[in-house]
Amino acid sequence: MTINRVAIIIAFVTGIFMLVQYFIDAVVVNNLYKTLLDYYQIIFAITMIVGGLTLLRVHLRKLVRFDRHSIFSLATVTAILFMVISSIIFGTGTNSPYQWAFNNIQAPMQATTFSLLAFFVASAAYRGFRVRSKPAAVLAIAALIVLLGRSIFGEMISEHLPSLAGWVLNNPSVAAKRGILVGIGLGSVATALRVILGIERSYL
Amino acid sequence: MNATNIRRLIFLVILLAVALPLIFNIDLTGRVTDETRQMFDNIEMLQSHSILMVSFDFEASSIAEVRPLAEAILEHACRKELRVVGVSLFAEGTALGEQMLAQVAKKHQLQYGVDYVYLGFRPQYVAAILAMGESIVDEYPADYFGNATAVMPIFRDLKNYNQVDLVVSIADGSMPTYWTEYAVARYDVNLEVALTASMATAFYPYLSSGQIKGLTAGLKGAAEYESLLDCKGGGRRGMFAQSVSQSVVILVIIAGNVVEYFNRRRKWK
Repeated sequence: MTINRVAIIIAFVTGIFMLVQYFIDAVVVNNLYKTLLDYYQIIFAITMIVGGLTLLRVHLRKLVRFDRHSIFSLATVTAILFMVISSIIFGTGTNSPYQWAFNNIQAPMQATTFSLLAFFVASAAYRGFRVRSKPAAVLAIAALIVLLGRSIFGEMISEHLPSLAGWVLNNPSVAAKRGILVGIGLGSVATALRVILGIERSYL
Repeated sequence: MNATNIRRLIFLVILLAVALPLIFNIDLTGRVTDETRQMFDNIEMLQSHSILMVSFDFEASSIAEVRPLAEAILEHACRKELRVVGVSLFAEGTALGEQMLAQVAKKHQLQYGVDYVYLGFRPQYVAAILAMGESIVDEYPADYFGNATAVMPIFRDLKNYNQVDLVVSIADGSMPTYWTEYAVARYDVNLEVALTASMATAFYPYLSSGQIKGLTAGLKGAAEYESLLDCKGGGRRGMFAQSVSQSVVILVIIAGNVVEYFNRRRKWK
């Protein structure tokens, strides 16, 4: 029996069990279900370690090659090693170096990067909401209604604008989104069945 | 004016539109939307000492938007004397959640392990959500600080979601989807969500179907919640800046269309 066949059998048995256990309330089944959830988390934690080690290996190789981009690899490797080693030695408590680095380096950097979105959104709005066709006109009008209706200045212009924005969000937007969600749901069921039955084997 | 200069001009205007209103610190609070009021009312209706589970499902990048939301909800929970159980399904949200909960707990002089507890992060959110439905103590044998949870007074009558009166997921991504699919569908959990504004539209279908009991989003949602609480936090402080920058974006859209109109007219001639 090849290793691939073993993997397909494990996927089939586990998939069928997780499907069936939902409808069975028995101690043995519940205990097995809890054990499988524990393994799920353990496997996930191991994949994070594998991911971290792979990232480290890739950047160490880049450092060894040494070119003008190596400074970024050096920053990555230093950051990984600092966070891992400091958390092992000093823990991740409130006054630990790990927490200090998170609060004073990682959080401000991420917030800064995210805040740049304001500039890109404004720039994209200038080009993206131009009325060049009927669908583009609908998009631009809907955007203006929601933007105005959701801002306080919109409320000052007309008391009906927030209600109109709410209608756009709760009706056409929900209808489209629900259609997409139903499609995603059906696709997920189909893919899950393909994996359980061994038709979809891309995970091997 | 070429495209690069136009982009630079837009960047400069946005910078001024965001920065200047923050200096003036004008308090603008508009009408409270039905969604935010519904969310507020659901927490308001809870009895004293009910269990509120707050899941800090966000990353540091969205801190400016989610912190006011989280602080307003935690403030409400403390005023209502609810027992708060904090968890995080994002590794990055773990430390931030602990800071926010500790800050509010200190202000209201809450007793750790009795009035509130912070359990921290568990990997693989789907498995974590499902496992808490079976047993919270089994999923979290120790809290964020390494204390045994089984001996804590708060867990004497708290086993799983059956004893949790309300779950609030404070998120900047699609995590509430998993709360809905696994905690609501399987364990019939009462779920409310506090989101970044950009994620709000994704959850309106769940709100209208009743799977989510309440929704509030963005800085505006935080400002509305603060006005319902009659307090001034980050939401109300930031609303003027956000409203001015939103108005600038509207003007930019109009300007883009005026330019487009004149470009077309030039081509027709």
